[in-house]
Amino acid sequence: MRKKKVGAIAIKSFALLVVLGTAYLGTANQAMAQNTVTPYPKMAPIDQYLMTDQGAEIALARSASPESISREAEVLVLGRRGFETALKGKNGFVCIVERSWTSAADADFWSPKVRTPICYNAAAAHSLLPRNLKRTDLILAGRTQAQTDETIAAAVDKKELPAMEPGAMCYMMSKQGYGGDSVKHWPPHLMFYYSQTDPATWGANLPGSPILAMSDEHEHPTEHLTMFSIAVQRWSDGTENR
Amino acid sequence: MTRNQIHSIFLSALVLVAALIATRPAAAQDPKQPYPTMAPVEQYLMDHDAEIALARSAAPDAISHDASVIVLTRHGYETAVEGKNGWVCWVGRGWMAMFDHPEFWNPKVRAADCLNPPAARSVLPYAYKRTELLLAGHSKPEVIAAIKAAIDKKELPPLEPGAVDYMMSKGSYLTDSGNHNGPHLMFYQTAKDGAAWGANLTNSPILAVNYWYISAEAYPQLESFPPLSVFLIGVDKWSDGTPAPSM
Repeated sequence: MRKKKVGAIAIKSFALLVVLGTAYLGTANQAMAQNTVTPYPKMAPIDQYLMTDQGAEIALARSASPESISREAEVLVLGRRGFETALKGKNGFVCIVERSWTSAADADFWSPKVRTPICYNAAAAHSLLPRNLKRTDLILAGRTQAQTDETIAAAVDKKELPAMEPGAMCYMMSKQGYGGDSVKHWPPHLMFYYSQTDPATWGANLPGSPILAMSDEHEHPTEHLTMFSIAVQRWSDGTENR
Repeated sequence: MTRNQIHSIFLSALVLVAALIATRPAAAQDPKQPYPTMAPVEQYLMDHDAEIALARSAAPDAISHDASVIVLTRHGYETAVEGKNGWVCWVGRGWMAMFDHPEFWNPKVRAADCLNPPAARSVLPYAYKRTELLLAGHSKPEVIAAIKAAIDKKELPPLEPGAVDYMMSKGSYLTDSGNHNGPHLMFYQTAKDGAAWGANLTNSPILAVNYWYISAEAYPQLESFPPLSVFLIGVDKWSDGTPAPSM
């Protein structure tokens, strides 16, 4: 049970856990341990996950990275059947506001409040983003969390979903957004994606290391995914994170 | 420490900064070359134990404690400590900067690095080669030609994915500019510029430079080298855990 939970966290709420460091992580874990009854036991009506103001969703998505990057990025917004392109981009980056099923802790898996702005670079847009788009399609089609995990992992194994491209990374530097009730707001950070890489290779998760990482290599089901996170000192608008 | 100072540091450490190129295009053309030639080799050498300690300070002890350490001698780098975790810590000198860098021969530069295993296997051999040839008295064009020949003959390896370099030492001297130092991580990528990571753009926390040159004007033969960029991300603590100045 514990292992399964960790695995699920690793896959679906990695951004949350990796980025927050031990203090936040401890809080998140404690919150999850205490809340045996999740406040979000099942999917809410789909309207609660949608943003009615498309302009607001575009702006929130773009806030994930400095404007110098996001102004020429493609922007995706959530529709009733999945994410759709709202703006075509020119620089290969793709900005999106992800929802709970790809970007929150298990306790918040069905939370309709979660809004996670991310800007993926081209390599991640080609390799990591398709997994999250597929997961979203499955969730909106009524699949359970477990069914979705199995389907994504199987698609990775069958190479229907690609392995991580070299240099895949994303920006998560928005001052806005909502990470979930467990951890509401995250510090600005960058994430880097690799297919099945030992976190120790980067010196991650060691005392004093500025790099946090999580791998689902030993979990089941597995996406063979390792994610690294590095906190940065400023938000996307250039103001300092204090 | 201002952002401009950080840029200067990055450029001057074996490192970087296209951003600086944009704001200070004089780097390669500046007629004032403060270090036009190599200083006497003694000026680049250090006390053996002090060099080991400085090298290890590039990364948190949890990493560097079990790392190999190499130190500079009159003829090149030599292993001083055999490690157990695949990491290699060392103190780079000015000549690990781009070939046209104005502080290439600055004898004060002491850039402590800890390379992860992919970087130790695929970046360090270039440092060994460059250092040995320069200490043997070869000119920059000769060194460039020798490195190119070694690449072509596959005597030097291609860059491995995931090559990372910790530069978090409080004791480094990276440049004459600014505060001379700043903790950061470096990532090596086979990219011709920083665009793939959104580097060098306004408010981006990532800086990137070409590994080989600031401007190919001085050594145009470097343009035929395999693309190699160094990406830098500043961090907020030194390797000992104490807070660093805000960037």
